Amino acid sequence: MSSETTTVRQTVSDFLVRVKKGRDDLPDDLALFGDGLALDSLEAAELSVVLEDTYGRDPFSAGGDLPQTVGDVLAFYEAATTP
Amino acid sequence: MTDPTTGRVVIVTGGSRGLGAGIVQSYLDSGDRVATCARSRTDEVARWESEAADRFLFQEVDLADRAACASFVKAVVERWGGVDVLVNNAGVARDGVIALADDDDVDTVVDLNLKGTLQMTKLVVRRMLSGGHGHIVNISSIVGLSGYRGLVVYSATKAALDGMTRALARELGSRGITVNSVAPGYLRTEMSHGLDEDQLDQIVRRTPAGRLGEPADIARVVQFLTAPGQDYLTGQVIVADGGLTA
Repeated sequence: MSSETTTVRQTVSDFLVRVKKGRDDLPDDLALFGDGLALDSLEAAELSVVLEDTYGRDPFSAGGDLPQTVGDVLAFYEAATTP
Repeated sequence: MTDPTTGRVVIVTGGSRGLGAGIVQSYLDSGDRVATCARSRTDEVARWESEAADRFLFQEVDLADRAACASFVKAVVERWGGVDVLVNNAGVARDGVIALADDDDVDTVVDLNLKGTLQMTKLVVRRMLSGGHGHIVNISSIVGLSGYRGLVVYSATKAALDGMTRALARELGSRGITVNSVAPGYLRTEMSHGLDEDQLDQIVRRTPAGRLGEPADIARVVQFLTAPGQDYLTGQVIVADGGLTA
């Protein structure tokens, strides 16, 4: 696990605490929506802004498929840092 | 002297002249921090930069340019940390019957009045969501409600803004963000220059208030809709036309 992945996971975790959906663990296969974290669309937009502010870009605004799981979010940044 | 670290952060698009300038002046007068953008700089902008340098920000931006819009909003957030109020005022009109309309003119009006406003709103809403509050006012027009011969495209974009107001109010209500339209009647600004004196006289005769509107008339309504604590009036189109369409 890269340090970037750890940092992004912590950013997501901090955001979830702020919107009162904090959890002890955030496994990669945990869904962002529905039965997983149950983010609504505006919360997803807020997470998008938090990630953009922190890392300069975010997977929700990148133009591809929207991330569906925590792992999708992490993979976006892993792909960005992979040489 | 007003403290430059307090006061709401207000974005007014198209604030370099006419109605937009009146709205900018109103927020500066109420002690707020105001950012505005327009396609060109005016003497009014230079005066504000001199007199209220620490509470005023201006960038030359064509709202049809998405990257320029993003750069402008980013500059505002970097300087003042967020956005409390967005007034979507920028607009352009091209008069003439639709049957003879130049295709490029149609694109210009739609790109700026509608697509540019949607883009600016998207960028600012993202900031308001993270802030948990906000006020948005769209400056539409009575011609969006009643129509006007020779202003078909302009009227269409203004009616679209009112639809956007209602949808956005529903979308953002749960986040403490209000969205309303103000539909001015005929004002004594550059936007009424397409009307000749006879047409303006006829409008005045039909207006119960007995005069054309001034930017300050509209700015007062915008201030009311964006007042701190005003969190219940949303999704509405407020007609401010001296009673012309009553």
